[in-house]
Amino acid sequence: MYQHNQTMMPQEDMAYTVLSDLKRVTREYATAATESSCPSIRSLFTNLLNSTLKMQGDLYQTMQQANMYSTASPALRQEIDKQLKQNQQTKQKTEQFLQQTTQTGGQFVQHVMPQQTHQAPTQPQQNPYYM
Amino acid sequence: MMQPITAKELEYLVDSMSNEDLLMKQCAVTAATASNEALRQQCLQLQHMHQQHYDALLHALQQHQQMAPTQPQQ
Repeated sequence: MYQHNQTMMPQEDMAYTVLSDLKRVTREYATAATESSCPSIRSLFTNLLNSTLKMQGDLYQTMQQANMYSTASPALRQEIDKQLKQNQQTKQKTEQFLQQTTQTGGQFVQHVMPQQTHQAPTQPQQNPYYM
Repeated sequence: MMQPITAKELEYLVDSMSNEDLLMKQCAVTAATASNEALRQQCLQLQHMHQQHYDALLHALQQHQQMAPTQPQQ
């Protein structure tokens, strides 16, 4: 079928193109499902989402086994320690807040609502109003 | 339960069919050119799945064809 002599894209690039399209289509099915009004259409998009997600995972596994995909470097222990500590604190504060809210029936919520530990975003902050 | 689809749902169905069509072609080309056997098999299987997805989308559109109003609704 492909006997002509023109340069072909390497197989790993082809596979990577399919993989990124599967990632994009997964997102599109999730959006479509959440914005569907007809139950049968929502169910169709949900099934296609699950199927596409599985296909993306299968292709990724195949590519990784064929050494076509280098995995990202592992997260450092100290970074995990730091995140664990911060998020355990957040969980504790939120539990207190939930307890107080239940007791007071939602009164004075604004005064006691705990602030989350702010962290630098992992990606450059985008204008949330820009679509 | 079936109800007439919205214009938005129609857009998603059509966009999705276009995605599936492109992906099944990409998988066919990748399978035809890949030298790695596992990748070749995987792509053939994916191509088959994308065909099934396409058919499911097309079928949904056909099922809703009769229910659709012919005049704009208030």
